[in-house]
Amino acid sequence: MTHVPPPFDPELAAALELIKDMISPGLTLDEIAEVRQGPGIRMLAELDLTMGGTFEVEDRRVPGPEGAPDISLLICRPAAPETPGPRPVIYHVHGGGMVIGNNRVGVDVPLAWAQALDAIVVSVEYRLAPEHPHPAPVEDVYAGLLWTADHAAELGADPERIVVAGASAGGGLCAALALLTRDRKGPQPIGQVLMCPMLDDRNDSPSTYQMAGLGVWDRTANETGWTALLGSRRGGPDVPAYAAPARAEDLTGLPPAFLDVGSAETFRDEVVAYASRIWQAGGVAELHVWPGGFHGFDGFAPQAALSQAARAAHLTWLRRLLGV
Amino acid sequence: MKELAGRLTALDPDAGAAVRVIAYFDRLAESRAGLEALVRGAAVLAGCPARLVDPERRVHVRVETDGTRRDTGTPPDPAWPAVRLGPDGTGMLWLERGGDGAGPAGSVSGPAGVAPGGGGDAEHGGPAVTVLDSRPAPAAAPGQVPVQPIPSVVDAVILERAAGAVRLVLDRTRGRAPAHDPALVETLLDATAPEPARLHAARRLGLDPTAPARALAPLNGRPRVIPDAPEAGSGNRLPPSASLQETEGTDRAPANVSADRPELPGPPLTAGRLGVGSAVPVLELPRSWAEARTALRFTAEGTPWDPGPRAVYADELGGVSLLADLVLPGSEPPPDVRALETAAASAPWLPVTLHAITYTSSLRAAAAEINVHHSTLQERLAHAEHLLGWPIRTPQGRLRLHLALTMRRLARP
Repeated sequence: MTHVPPPFDPELAAALELIKDMISPGLTLDEIAEVRQGPGIRMLAELDLTMGGTFEVEDRRVPGPEGAPDISLLICRPAAPETPGPRPVIYHVHGGGMVIGNNRVGVDVPLAWAQALDAIVVSVEYRLAPEHPHPAPVEDVYAGLLWTADHAAELGADPERIVVAGASAGGGLCAALALLTRDRKGPQPIGQVLMCPMLDDRNDSPSTYQMAGLGVWDRTANETGWTALLGSRRGGPDVPAYAAPARAEDLTGLPPAFLDVGSAETFRDEVVAYASRIWQAGGVAELHVWPGGFHGFDGFAPQAALSQAARAAHLTWLRRLLGV
Repeated sequence: MKELAGRLTALDPDAGAAVRVIAYFDRLAESRAGLEALVRGAAVLAGCPARLVDPERRVHVRVETDGTRRDTGTPPDPAWPAVRLGPDGTGMLWLERGGDGAGPAGSVSGPAGVAPGGGGDAEHGGPAVTVLDSRPAPAAAPGQVPVQPIPSVVDAVILERAAGAVRLVLDRTRGRAPAHDPALVETLLDATAPEPARLHAARRLGLDPTAPARALAPLNGRPRVIPDAPEAGSGNRLPPSASLQETEGTDRAPANVSADRPELPGPPLTAGRLGVGSAVPVLELPRSWAEARTALRFTAEGTPWDPGPRAVYADELGGVSLLADLVLPGSEPPPDVRALETAAASAPWLPVTLHAITYTSSLRAAAAEINVHHSTLQERLAHAEHLLGWPIRTPQGRLRLHLALTMRRLARP
């Protein structure tokens, strides 16, 4: 099999030139602490969460999973709602390879949707691996969803119209969340937005080999993230689907999914496979493979033509889903 | 792992940022990115809209800082940092920074570009905009005419690298010298050439295949084709025929046409006689070319011996154009033309005087046109009638005179 990678989109290749000193494709366990403190994450958290006054912003501590510490929810509600009555909720789960990030990271994306859709954003803070291996992250994410659904009235939210959304590890956690709520008969999201989601701990698809050493998240980094989450179980026979949704045998009964991924990234094949398996299980999914996109390209280079197309696709899918 | 690349460059303006700018455009050029991607790169890295305009090649691309393409017809501000694409071309790349009294755009952010807790770009809903350098432009001293501010180091590097990459793309995709290739014009004017070949030639020449164009037939020089429809907001219009109706009393030569219309492709037209075909769809340019050649025969040198318009529009000739088929170049001139030649030989003032009375609406205006007293004109006309042998102060006589003057040009070898 050829390991020649697909070329990056020209604009995205140029964007990589800008960030290559800041972000390298590989990440090892002993670099995690440094990256957590690094300028990349710091800058991501430096965001006007009110979006110029559109949102009222609140940090809320709510109960975590049973026997675990409280978790923190970032709640952004329209300051001057366009419509009366309960509003849809974007329940956002941040990325960061399961090992870095906070609930500010990447929240500008759902905030932009919420601005267009007159919706509420709830972004959950979850405990990170390796200090907190599976199931701590996904259980925190589940606890936040439970609280949000239970307190919908208080938030002015419609508990029947919660969309879970996340990129990278956040996308993987959203896919896991959809499986968990199905199996536990918990609050049922009406849709799942899985942007370049991290789904498969086996790290052995052709795209993981093709993109080794390239982009911003290669198979070394991927192994680091999954090993932090799963320890020696990573890649073995007994990894639960709630940790790595690609391991799920049953993909029936899931909410409609939007999945997208770049053609030039580690996760390409696992995302395409996951979408195919949803269809094979009789489910509803929309899949976009953006040619020449690297991992998380629309966040790193939002101005690029391909990023604009991807972001437009997110929003049009949400409009169709929510009927707004 | 989602981050915002642009902001990372904000950490170090000047030297470090310049290095990144160079790497950015080198990479775009390497992967053969298109014009919009290059202009977008300039806009994103500079943190202000960027605009590329090359009228000769009919290129107009404007991209805002959020990466969206938004072209506009508003004229560029002379205060914007800009770079010319080539020494003799019309192409320019601008960074729409400052000017218009709005103050330098960079002043919205501190010199370091991003400070913790701030620096996000509220306008576009995300911290996606890079401000590489935000030093304000130098202010003009009181009483001085403000000069174009010297661009910051980073702006200068952005302009230089972006323009370099743009040049490569234009040369690759639009041809190095779009309107100078005589073979393309020849194809375009050749009714027997296949339509796809003619459409291809039109595009290579920078013509919009859906817009009307005119063929030009200069007496000395190769055939030319010019677009007829003005570009929205560019203010470049084909000049009205009146400005081309040269008479011996004016010093405007058709050469001035090109100065009026910077979009005119190719080298400037030299002074001299010019036939202009009617505006037609590009596939009908062979007809416009035939008309232009006919119109050329109605032109005059604009000299005392051969007064009259140096440029003639075919679509203004009307039925007069039928004369072109009756009086062939170099043929035996009709008797009225022979009479004119004989008269002119004995009275050098005669051609200009007779032209003036056929091209003005009154004898008074004709006298003013050729700078003689009204009574002098009357004396000349009486003398001319005697030499010609027919009256020229009656409507019928003036028509006969007008036809004779016209046929005189048509009969030229």
